[in-house]
Amino acid sequence: MIKITNLEKFYRTEEVETIALNKLSMEVKKGEFVAIMGPSGCGKSTLLNILGLLDDPDAGSYLFNDIEVADFNERKRADLRKHNIGFVFQSFNLIDELTVFENVELPLIYTGVAAADRVKKVEAVLDKMQIMHRRNHYPQQLSGGQQQRVAIARAVVNTPKIILADEPTGNLDSSNGNDVMELLTDLNEQGTTIIMVTHSEHDARYSHRIIRLLDGQTVVENIMI
Amino acid sequence: MACGILIFTLVTYHLSFDTFHKNPDRIYRFVTEWHDDEIDRSSSVPMPVGTAFRTDFSLGQITARTFLMGNSLVTINQGNDVKKFREENGVTFAEPGFLDIFNFPLIKGNSKELFGKPKQAVVTEKVAFKFFGTTDVIGKVIKVENKTQFTIVGVLKNIPANTDLNTEIYVSYGSLIDYDAFGNDKNWGGVMSSSKAYTLLQPGVTRAAADMALAQLPKKHFTGRDASVWKFKLQPLSDVHFNTEFDAYASKTYLWALFFIGLFLIITACVNFVNLATAQALNRAKEVGIRKVMGSLPYQLFWQFIAETAIITLVGVIVAVGLAELFLPMLNGLFKTEMDFHWMQLSLFIVFATVVVIFLSGSYPGLVLARFQPILALKSKLSQKDVGGFSLRRVLVVTQFVISQVLIIGSIVVVAQMRYAQTADLGFKKDAIVLLPMPKNDKATVGTMRNQLSGIPGVESVTFCMGAPASRSNSTTGINYDNRAEDEHWGINMKSADDQYISTFNIKLVAGRNVFAADTVREFLVNETVARKLGIQPKDLIGKKIAVNGGTIKGPVVGVVKDFYNHSFHSEIAPICIMTQSDNYYTAAVKMDMRHAKESLAAFEKIWSSTFPEELYSYQFLDESIARFYELDNTLLKLVEAFAAIAIIISCLGLYGLVSFMAVPKTKEIGVRKVLGANIGQVLWLFGKEFTYLLLIAFVIAAPLAGWAMHNYLQDFKYKISLGPGIFLAAIASTFVIAAITVSYRATIAALTNPVKSLRSE
Ligand SMILES: Nc1ncnc2c1ncn2[C@@H]1O[C@H](COP(=O)(O)OP(=O)(O)OP(=O)(O)O)[C@@H](O)[C@H]1O
Ligand SMILES: [Mg+2]
Repeated sequence: MIKITNLEKFYRTEEVETIALNKLSMEVKKGEFVAIMGPSGCGKSTLLNILGLLDDPDAGSYLFNDIEVADFNERKRADLRKHNIGFVFQSFNLIDELTVFENVELPLIYTGVAAADRVKKVEAVLDKMQIMHRRNHYPQQLSGGQQQRVAIARAVVNTPKIILADEPTGNLDSSNGNDVMELLTDLNEQGTTIIMVTHSEHDARYSHRIIRLLDGQTVVENIMI
Repeated sequence: MACGILIFTLVTYHLSFDTFHKNPDRIYRFVTEWHDDEIDRSSSVPMPVGTAFRTDFSLGQITARTFLMGNSLVTINQGNDVKKFREENGVTFAEPGFLDIFNFPLIKGNSKELFGKPKQAVVTEKVAFKFFGTTDVIGKVIKVENKTQFTIVGVLKNIPANTDLNTEIYVSYGSLIDYDAFGNDKNWGGVMSSSKAYTLLQPGVTRAAADMALAQLPKKHFTGRDASVWKFKLQPLSDVHFNTEFDAYASKTYLWALFFIGLFLIITACVNFVNLATAQALNRAKEVGIRKVMGSLPYQLFWQFIAETAIITLVGVIVAVGLAELFLPMLNGLFKTEMDFHWMQLSLFIVFATVVVIFLSGSYPGLVLARFQPILALKSKLSQKDVGGFSLRRVLVVTQFVISQVLIIGSIVVVAQMRYAQTADLGFKKDAIVLLPMPKNDKATVGTMRNQLSGIPGVESVTFCMGAPASRSNSTTGINYDNRAEDEHWGINMKSADDQYISTFNIKLVAGRNVFAADTVREFLVNETVARKLGIQPKDLIGKKIAVNGGTIKGPVVGVVKDFYNHSFHSEIAPICIMTQSDNYYTAAVKMDMRHAKESLAAFEKIWSSTFPEELYSYQFLDESIARFYELDNTLLKLVEAFAAIAIIISCLGLYGLVSFMAVPKTKEIGVRKVLGANIGQVLWLFGKEFTYLLLIAFVIAAPLAGWAMHNYLQDFKYKISLGPGIFLAAIASTFVIAAITVSYRATIAALTNPVKSLRSE
């Protein structure tokens, strides 16, 4: 489903040029659950952003479902992204002024789903995440775990083929973190491909495969189980 | 702020009019009122009124009559040299005591017995210098309108700028006998606008008492209905400059309008400051949090903030004073005034305004900051709601929108009305017509002038008349129709003009024929208004006799002309009669081919100067003289435009600031939305929605406000545009466009930011 070869990404500031990704190659198959690990600053988030089509690489190839997307422009990327990719962030990134329901509804609005369908879909996913009773609350009124569940609900409401999660448990305590991991595992079992960045060996154990990065290059790939 | 200072100066300038006299509260001007179907007023009185008040009653300490000969020609002989001056402020004939009522001090000469004898004159230093190059002018002789020679017996200190009595040459009233006007010295039935009277009441005498005494005069000097129609009253000096029912220059309404615009501008600026400062508070939350943890008390924080505001405001004030200094000459030019800053008064105003501004704009953000919860502030978890201000800021933005929309609507209306006034069909042609004065109008002079002017190539027609169809000087008298027993209850405007008048000005006949050439009154033309007032069809008027000017002028009506505007759109079209009466032809109106304007004008001057060698040549284009009717409106227009522009700029700055501060906390939200698939349009709409909404609220408030204000403004015009929805739509559209540009610039930056950047910072 995802295949990158010799992917490169530089960040230029006035004096220094940082090589965030250095001729990185990897592949993720449909239905996989992959964890990406590595020390701070090794390029995990950069990689995830490129995989998520939020950013474009400076060199290399990126095949998404066998289509070359490395040279897609902003518009095409956005289009592909809306329909295929869901994001979960460490800091949840819910919109404070919107209720739980409205937050989850947003991606459906942007993909142009009819209002009646939206209600059905949002309710279904909130039910699944067990936060239906909080549908009219605002993010600040929820605990961190609950907020992350809303964020996951928002990521999956569009039934994306792939979920990208950047340290989804980073801001949570271990019990809430485990809940989130369970949810992701469930989603994976129902067929969603998941790529997750994490610092926690514990969380990584939920995945099928761990890709370890160092200075923008793959070092090891551990196959779990 | 600078505007505030300028407006303050303007307002005090007008309020200070004629306040420098010694007993301003005891000085009054005599005025006339006619209580007929409507009340008419004049700031002048029949010439005998002043005398009667002086001799019949003992209420006045000093009473003096004056007669203003406006725009008069003054000639002086120095050796064989003859110098001619056109005095725009005119020459005033004054009775003894006039200079004692008012505080115009003499610096040379003896004020005792001044004007007791005829042929005396006093002039100001300025005039003395202009005429003779020195102020040592006692004993010198000046000639007024080529008639009487006056000997200068005193020199006045220069007349201050803030008075309506701006004549600089005063001469003995007694000498009026040498001039035509004297014929009215005993005439109770005629009011000449030049003839005024003033009195300094005895101490203790009230205006009511004097008015009561004056009420006896009509009973004594008028008979029949007139005795109850005519009223004489006193008008306090302080009222003279402002009462537009008479001839006031400045209406208080305009001054108040200006005052409020100034206030608006200052409020808008404060609003902006509060806006930005509260928004900034969010960024300063951390600093405040740390201060609080270190033990600073809320009130200390409050004062800290006030102090910061004070510094900013003071810098602003200094800049403002500089700007005001810079722009005052412009304003003076605009209003044709000679204002100066009176630093004493002004500094009081500035200090007061500064303090108010500091507290208004400093206290709210100060309070908000001081009340922050330190923990939250440190964690920088303060959201918009904690700085309070979001909905408050909405209110403020709405306020700004309201102000700018009111001003925009205001300027649109004024512009539209001005354009209407300048392009509307006046009922006569005003282009390519030059007006020349006729200082002498005996038959021979008129005849030769006519021949000579007509002979100039490029001249299409020449008419001799009292004045152009639309003119400032209108002479109104009573009218008797068809030998009815009683005169009509309305006055008729008499226009003397020859048979070329209606063709030169292109005035249309609706019934009958034009008058035949004649030098005395044989027959009349009247306008449609006369027919309407009489309730008679124009064609039925033909052949009927009318008598005007107290029955001294009579004749049959031979034609009815289409209505034309006889003054500005401020006043209603009057009933008018036109008659041939050559001794009233003070103007020659020449219609010419504008392609040869230059040669023709040169030829006019040559002919005119050789016909009137003793006079000073001057001419005027009719369209320019008509444009003068709207001078005050044009001034107003320029002001409203300038202030509207300033208000709009200030609001835009405010708006820009607001959007910036809205955008900062929103960048993350925008990032999230973009990740979720929002396109740029959808992100822009986030901002647009908000402002459209605020703008609409503002419009709902502004429209009736502006509608009301403009309705009042248009009340001043008898002929006016109607306030259609188009004006309001234009206003909201223009504010919308301006706001949209401001907002979208900032919002686009926010919308285009790559979400990766805005989401990275956790
Ligand atoms: N916008 C940017 N401008 C300049 N340098 C950047 C930018 N974004 C990332 N970098 C640099 O690129 C490298 C990779 O950053 P990245 O955020 O991918 O690391 P990470 O592996 O996600 O680290 P962490 O585990 O701390 O999240 C780092 O050295 C970082 O400093
Ligand atoms: Mg990272």
